[in-house]
Amino acid sequence: MNIVPSALAGDAEFVRRSYIGIIGTLPTVEEARRFLDSSDPAKRSHLIDELLKRPEYDDYWALKWADLLRVDRQALGHKRAYAYYEWIRQSFAENKSLDQFVRDILTFAGNTTDAPQVSFYRVVGDPNKIASTVSQVFLGVRIECAQCHHHPFDRWSQTDYYGMTAFFRQVNRKGTIRGEMMVPDGNPKASHPRTGATIYAHALGETMPDKLLSGDQRQMLADWMTGTDNPWFARNAANRLWAHLMGRGLVEPVDDFRDTNPPSNPELLDALASYLVENGYDVKELIRAITASATYQRTSRPNETNEEDEQNYSRALLKRLDAEVLLDAVCQVTGLNEKFRGVPFGARAIELWDSEVDHYFLKLFGRPTRKTACQCERSTQPTVGQVLHLLNSPEIHIKLSHEAGRIAQLVDNHPGDRELIESIYLTFLSRRPISGEQAIAIDYFNKNDNGRRVAAEDLAWSLMNSLEFMFNH
Amino acid sequence: MKHTGILCDGIRRRDFLRVGGAGLFGAAWTLPDLLNQQAMATHFEADLSKNDRSLIVVFLRGGLSTIDTWDLKPDAPIEFRGDFNPIPTNVSGIQIGEHMPRLARQMDKFSLVRSFTHSNSDHGPADHYMLTGYHPVSGFNAELTPNNQRPSHGSIIARKLGPRGSVPPYVCVPNMHSSGGASYLGADYAPFSVNADPSDPGFAVRDIVPPLDLDPSRANSRRELLSQVDRFQRNAEGRTNSTAQTVSVFRQKAFDLMTSPTAKRAFNIHAENDKLREEYGHNSLGQSCLMARRLVEAGVRCTTVHHVDWDTHDNNFVTLKRDLLPKLDAAMSTLFRDLADRGLLEQTLVIVTGEFGRTPRINTNAGRDHWGPGFTVAMGGGGVQGGRIVGRSDERAERPADNPFGPEDLNTTIYHLLGINPNEEFHTIEGRPMPIINGGRVMKELL
Repeated sequence: MNIVPSALAGDAEFVRRSYIGIIGTLPTVEEARRFLDSSDPAKRSHLIDELLKRPEYDDYWALKWADLLRVDRQALGHKRAYAYYEWIRQSFAENKSLDQFVRDILTFAGNTTDAPQVSFYRVVGDPNKIASTVSQVFLGVRIECAQCHHHPFDRWSQTDYYGMTAFFRQVNRKGTIRGEMMVPDGNPKASHPRTGATIYAHALGETMPDKLLSGDQRQMLADWMTGTDNPWFARNAANRLWAHLMGRGLVEPVDDFRDTNPPSNPELLDALASYLVENGYDVKELIRAITASATYQRTSRPNETNEEDEQNYSRALLKRLDAEVLLDAVCQVTGLNEKFRGVPFGARAIELWDSEVDHYFLKLFGRPTRKTACQCERSTQPTVGQVLHLLNSPEIHIKLSHEAGRIAQLVDNHPGDRELIESIYLTFLSRRPISGEQAIAIDYFNKNDNGRRVAAEDLAWSLMNSLEFMFNH
Repeated sequence: MKHTGILCDGIRRRDFLRVGGAGLFGAAWTLPDLLNQQAMATHFEADLSKNDRSLIVVFLRGGLSTIDTWDLKPDAPIEFRGDFNPIPTNVSGIQIGEHMPRLARQMDKFSLVRSFTHSNSDHGPADHYMLTGYHPVSGFNAELTPNNQRPSHGSIIARKLGPRGSVPPYVCVPNMHSSGGASYLGADYAPFSVNADPSDPGFAVRDIVPPLDLDPSRANSRRELLSQVDRFQRNAEGRTNSTAQTVSVFRQKAFDLMTSPTAKRAFNIHAENDKLREEYGHNSLGQSCLMARRLVEAGVRCTTVHHVDWDTHDNNFVTLKRDLLPKLDAAMSTLFRDLADRGLLEQTLVIVTGEFGRTPRINTNAGRDHWGPGFTVAMGGGGVQGGRIVGRSDERAERPADNPFGPEDLNTTIYHLLGINPNEEFHTIEGRPMPIINGGRVMKELL
């Protein structure tokens, strides 16, 4: 292909990329300055270590997983949805290993009062839906077509499909005087919809046992999923993480692993998956490994050979900020918080556990409604409405021009235009202006008859509407 | 060849012009590409002057009960017939439902296809089928917006014909139907969704003008500043990332909208005379139809009116009689009359349909359920003759008795009437052919 990778990204690119990618948050001016001015040769890996300890890490990854695991207030009710979310967030706060996380969700038995993760079963529904959701979210394999016929693009038959559903036919939720109990007292079997033949629980691609096995077969499923030679579980997890940090999965869409949709770089995917397994399914370790790589640290600026390449990670891809991250960024750079219904003032959008909180900006920029387990529900597709909103909306105008806002404060604190412009650039783009940009801004300040404050607001407005602000690069 | 979308065939003349101007596509173009595009662009101009039609789709989401409106069966058994009686229209021999008296007086302006049929009675897939001409396949997720596996006809029209003047080619009012998206054509051809209800007393398209306390000279100078500081838009970063490039294109579209007096005028429904607004009906359907007419006048090529209340599983007759049919009667009859009065009907194809009909057999809740196998589609203007009945349904209006038509035929007819060759295909970058239509024939009986 004769593609030469782009050069290493500068510190400014790295700091912004890492903050947004790992904690869904822009660096503050002070944080950006500190990193840019540090002479520590290991400052990049130190930064990653710091970010992985931040509470925003827990918020951001809980948000991502709450999408997939469907923390849906409408379906679950307020109390259960909130508890479910808190359970997910706590799992990331304590860096629970991914295999344990999945095991906790899938294999729970007993009194559900103190097991909010059981809401996964509640929100997804019947054994068929649970089987296809488990496959899609944890294995990256879509089997739902095989409910009615042999999967047209894959090897899955109806026997494979009903074999998976049989695991979940074994469990029942029952009301008792001590509260709701989750009990594996059913038979782990299903019947073939066409032939009527009995299908015993068995995992994808595995041989069906020839008789009904005793014990909670979900344990067997979890052992199989998280076993070292499972073909999907670790690859799916690694691929999702890679896709998030790099802007594109090695398998794309991330939840559609099949023989006819092979990874773009199978060796790399295998290596990432092995790394995850060898490190005990520690998500943070995999983030450290990926962010330390030259591939992650490439600049987004293409060279002559890789301009057309959006598939091979020969340069950093531009990733539109998630709706919540973008709104938080708007609030942070203007110094004015949003008020969301049902949460304390000052809560940020990435902290919202309920994806139904009424908010025009979040809806407009593609927040998912969590009606399915598909990663595709979260949209980063631009619309004209989004562009118009950033350009013209009164809400953003107020934030930019508010007396108590960041711009007014920066203008007051910086008597010199040059310093003011530098601080505005650091605030919005986490970098200092290059000389041409400094000259353009100075010129704008000099020519402007409406005063420094207005000129500063105009510069801030322009930077907020620039592609560099809207995208992580 | 490489440009904004993933497709390898033609590009709009406007995009071609922009290559020289803003340089959005800059280095990705070679001279032979440009010359080739110029040739195609010229060819397009010629085509447009011949066929300058627009499309209004009034989509009654949930599914209109056509046995109670367009195709009554007074002689059917009681469990089918329903409560309503037929009335005569201004076309002799054609009768429609009694709760549409104003439409009965406009029957000469539109026709009824009483033998419409398709195989899906689920909202999501049926919506997709009607709006794209393609039945969805595996992996379809109705909950997404957009959920398109294939482009909606609005997106195809936007792609093939491009904008006319400074208004967007494809607009949804009051909001976007979830199958109204552009699919593989890319976000450039997605609809502009008004996202506001024209029947709202304070109706305004959101964010279309700069904040009021910003004087115009300041708005201009900061727009200039934006173009100077947005380095990604000028550098390779923006050009070589498809999503970023889409934002750049949308920003240009946003500026076009903001500075277009035509768009501003069209969206200002408050300027419409009160009597006419009253005739359309002061409700979402009525005012959206009026907005559609205003948009057609302004140059919009495809306007989709999205009205959602038609899923009458319970209490079908009372709901239709008291609420839905008076609204439809007012909105649709006024739309046809208004278009005709302004000399626009010949150039404007109007289609009124749901995603399917409703079960002729009445259920135990005095309602009717989903029914794809047989229903009626109303069409008029834009080259469709008025006052015709095409096709017949069986004696219980359950299935076509002759001449069955489906979504493939409907979409083929739309493209034919708008001057788009339905037999063309797009190609993905991998060379996979994407035909505009999936079979189907032009409904010549209407023309």
